[in-house]
Amino acid sequence: MFNSQYLPDHAAPFEPRNVRQPEALRTMPSATKRSAEFEKLALPLFAALYNHAFWLTRNQAEAEDLVQETFSKALRAFDSFQPGTNFKAWMFRILRNGFLTTRTGIAVSRTVFLEDHPTARDMAASEPTPEDNLIRLDNQAALHTALEQLQPDLREALLLCDVEEMKYKDIALILDVPIGTVMSRISRARRTLRQLLHPQLGETL
Amino acid sequence: MNQINQSTEHPGPDELSAFLDGELSPSEQQGVEQHLAGCHVCTLFVLSTTQLKAATARAGHRFTAPSEAFARVAAQLHLQQPQSETKTTARIYSIRPMAWAAFAAAILLVVSLLSWRQLHQTNILAGELLDQHLATLSTAATPQVISTDRHTVKPWFQGRLPFSFNLPDAEGLPSDTTLKGADLIYFNNQPAALLLFTIHKHEVSVFFMQRSTNPILSTLPNTRAGFTLHTAATPDLYVIAVSDVNPGDLDRLVAALVRAQASH
Repeated sequence: MFNSQYLPDHAAPFEPRNVRQPEALRTMPSATKRSAEFEKLALPLFAALYNHAFWLTRNQAEAEDLVQETFSKALRAFDSFQPGTNFKAWMFRILRNGFLTTRTGIAVSRTVFLEDHPTARDMAASEPTPEDNLIRLDNQAALHTALEQLQPDLREALLLCDVEEMKYKDIALILDVPIGTVMSRISRARRTLRQLLHPQLGETL
Repeated sequence: MNQINQSTEHPGPDELSAFLDGELSPSEQQGVEQHLAGCHVCTLFVLSTTQLKAATARAGHRFTAPSEAFARVAAQLHLQQPQSETKTTARIYSIRPMAWAAFAAAILLVVSLLSWRQLHQTNILAGELLDQHLATLSTAATPQVISTDRHTVKPWFQGRLPFSFNLPDAEGLPSDTTLKGADLIYFNNQPAALLLFTIHKHEVSVFFMQRSTNPILSTLPNTRAGFTLHTAATPDLYVIAVSDVNPGDLDRLVAALVRAQASH
């Protein structure tokens, strides 16, 4: 008898192999094809997932583990992926859900940040004027520092938008928040970046 | 998202940010566009946010995975294929087809990785070019050399660049195309020439770079954030033009510049 405890968790239990072998042979190419299809879709996302995982965890080993776990979970759950929907967003959502179960993720999720709400524009506030902002943002070190200083929920939304070039609806799906919150977070992230960059770049910003 | 009703009322930062990301509805988009047409302050705000977005995209691509990590994940995926399938396959088929399949999968992996790396790098470089172009649009960004005369602009680069290039005279340029000036810039950590032209009333940035130090520029995308990137190559140089002008006009300018290199 086949020991069902060794079955992958997404596979249905089946009868002893000697009885079902012809059927297994018939289904084999489609399983292989499915796996190849997953690899074709998922592997090109490896670097993007790793980059995002590193921004989330701020640790190389944790990022590697998180990405590896993401691929493993995604392959197991690939049958539940709806063709025609955004595969990249689906993978990033799995990555994020995995992150939230790590020690770092739990700590971040317990941190209380300012409420997400639309903000009124205050051009006369302490922000630099738009003219001040017309600069060459070529100081990578300053920008890296500013990105690191952003609060994690703002940074995550901004990176998904600007680095991964995702639409707000996909970001909302990944972060599990309304689209309005995504819009507000991205806008706040950009304003905070300006404020952070202003003193570092001095007169050039 | 709030409707932008009045072109005289400033849109909020959330709306302008969403406008930049192409996330407003068509009517909201139109409302913001109408407002921007008459509001200098908001136009500058959008322009600077565009720069910030491009810079964030570059800075955000910061962490590169070790190649072993990719290999580990790829190997894990192969191991994770249903065990029953693998075992049955081994019984029924000889080892040779499996070996070929593994070999093909390995090649696919390597090709995927290499393709991705190239795509990733060219996207970053395209972003850098666009950022350089956007910076020239600022009224505060004065070219280092201001001249419509190629006999002034070209010699200015002597001793500043490790290569030289030629420029056509005014008659050799397409109609309504004017040389404005030039900048010495650093692109992909290499010195390059940035020539500033106008076609009709559109600003055009043309970059001259050495081919030997920028081997992958031929694969740059043709568009980025609504701007056209036109890349051409001579035996020694890459000529890359960035603008929002009609692509046909941009092609004609690049063709004229490439022809000028032949007489170099």
